[in-house]
Amino acid sequence: MVVYFGSVLIGVLFFQPLGGIFDRFDTLRLRWIASLRSDSLTDIVLFVNLLASRWTIRALRWGTIAALVGFRHWRHLFVFLGSMLAAEIVAYQISVLLGRSRPLGITIIGPWEGYSMPSRPSVGLAASLVGMTYALVVPGRPREIAKWVVGGVILALVVARLYLGVDHPTDAGFGAIMGIAIPLVAFRWYTPNDVFPVTYRRGKAAHLDVGGKRGEAIRRAVLDQLGYEVLDIKPVGLEGSGGSTPLRLRVGATEDEPERYLFAKLYAKSHVRADRWYKLGRSILYGALEDETPFQSVRRFVEYEDYTLRLLYDQGLPTPKPYGVVEITPEREYMIVMEFFDGAVEIGDAEIDDAGIDEGLQIVRKMWDVGLAHRDIKPANLMVRDGKVLVIDVFFVQVRPSPWRQAVDLANMMLVLAVKSDAKRVYEHALALFTEDEIAEAFAAARGVASPTQLRSMLKQDGRDLVGELRAMAPERKPVSIQRWSVRRILRTAGVLVLALLALLLVLQNWNVFA
Amino acid sequence: MRRRARIRSAIVMLGAAAVALLPACAGTYLHEPTCGGKDAKALILAAQAVPSATLVPCIAEFPSGWSYDGSRIGSGSAQFFLDSDRAGIRALEVTLTAWCDVSNAIEVTAGVNQPGVRVYEEPISLPPTFQVNRYLRFPGGCVTNKFRFATGASATLALEAQQALSFVSRSVLVERAREETGLTLCGAEAPPCPG
Repeated sequence: MVVYFGSVLIGVLFFQPLGGIFDRFDTLRLRWIASLRSDSLTDIVLFVNLLASRWTIRALRWGTIAALVGFRHWRHLFVFLGSMLAAEIVAYQISVLLGRSRPLGITIIGPWEGYSMPSRPSVGLAASLVGMTYALVVPGRPREIAKWVVGGVILALVVARLYLGVDHPTDAGFGAIMGIAIPLVAFRWYTPNDVFPVTYRRGKAAHLDVGGKRGEAIRRAVLDQLGYEVLDIKPVGLEGSGGSTPLRLRVGATEDEPERYLFAKLYAKSHVRADRWYKLGRSILYGALEDETPFQSVRRFVEYEDYTLRLLYDQGLPTPKPYGVVEITPEREYMIVMEFFDGAVEIGDAEIDDAGIDEGLQIVRKMWDVGLAHRDIKPANLMVRDGKVLVIDVFFVQVRPSPWRQAVDLANMMLVLAVKSDAKRVYEHALALFTEDEIAEAFAAARGVASPTQLRSMLKQDGRDLVGELRAMAPERKPVSIQRWSVRRILRTAGVLVLALLALLLVLQNWNVFA
Repeated sequence: MRRRARIRSAIVMLGAAAVALLPACAGTYLHEPTCGGKDAKALILAAQAVPSATLVPCIAEFPSGWSYDGSRIGSGSAQFFLDSDRAGIRALEVTLTAWCDVSNAIEVTAGVNQPGVRVYEEPISLPPTFQVNRYLRFPGGCVTNKFRFATGASATLALEAQQALSFVSRSVLVERAREETGLTLCGAEAPPCPG
């Protein structure tokens, strides 16, 4: 179909006689359809043609936008907006490029506007309906039914426009296919069902559905690659995790070990893309604060986490025991498996005594001593079991980090512990492991983006000015700027701005000529 | 967080407005309707918009300082716009329709070397803000030239603008369509079409 329409486009554009052949072919078909015209049928068809009116399309689009905003389906919303803009702009540009007149040799009895190829009303309606289907309707049977309904509506419009003689058959067909193809490709590319399914349950976009075929694949892969029989898969701690899908696996007993739980994190290509955008955003907003080189594949992603996990475990830090990496789909989905801290609770839900404060601070001290930084010290990544503080989620760990990053780790740990106790106690305990100057540096460095979002919101909820209190106790220190300027940052920022400007100009150019 | 939410809201609102309004702004920036040019696409489309019109307005040549600023052609009417470096953007709007109301206009004799065309003028406002509607009626159609000059622009610019405009006979376009496609441009001065 694409080849056919591509050849039509090229043929009509570059070979004038070919355009004439298409005109005559189309006119013959239209004349046959026109021979069926009758007054009553014309009234019905004019009514059907209202499907393509600007008000119908407006209502469909505004309705979809309102629903997507209401359900906070931001990703689907952006893809919907983008695909509608792309469909309108591409259809318009092709229509001007081809400059095809309305059908000749037949009386036109319906309203029309502009050139005929492709049929822009068909593009508009088809794009809106397909966009709605992929943005709002849940995958599976409901979407299958919706596709048939949408197909029927588009077909009705195409037939109506041919009956009225406002479009050539190739215009209406090309328009409908273009209108279907653009949102279809956009949604399949940017919101694949297995990664970003339309769902009306609460949950983060990064969390993959682990039921159905994926669940089966996980069970098979864990058995084949690690030798454990997975009895149950349950998503856990989703609210504290945005970059992967954390899972609790119940595995069957082996010769050496009883039935127990393992912890796993499932990664897909979407997580690699998200990491790439996250790092690009950071490098523009703050410059090269630290290594902002993005990962190039999911495999590298999990390889790195497996490495950091083993590194911390080998250094004797209270992190989960690594069990290895499981390949679910080559180069697309991988899962890292580790010990599950059964019975542990997040530090935010635990009671912390003096020993707990010391343990938390010792984790940071040890990481400093062995030249590591966790980089994501926040309540969701600190667990407590039997009074012992454990640290999880080591994906951001950096080897030989900058002194700034190490200082930030200390400040964040002290803040987490202070929320669970008080600033003075934490400060006094910290003095046993760190110098006053080191603590002062920590609070000079920890500002804004340096603290994870979850920690910042926890501090806000707490109400006490813990940062201010801790900073006041430490010797005065000039704030450490987190802005790093370099030629690379300037060029990268300029590049992004130029691209954004080009996109804006593209829209504005089309906007001006439409208005 | 609040800043990010605000940025996201702004992007959503801009995108939503653009997406929702694009189908509403259905007018098009078409090819220039040049008299006697190689490319007659816009003229044929204009003739299709008003099948009864025996003449179709076109641009003969631009006087200094005048330029083309797009068209809007759809069933029932065909419009194009001219900009002037002195009279302003879209200082002249030319619209072809099947009929126009000249009850408030006065017939004048000057200005058009086209047999069968009767000219009417309807002053809207005089300088310093010159605004006039000029109607050119002919069998099967009417062209309305709306002069909407920027404040301070000289009324003599209207004479310049008129030099830019001319007509192409529908019979010429019918012949052109037949040569290019072998098909009939339906309407006046063409054999009856089916349907």
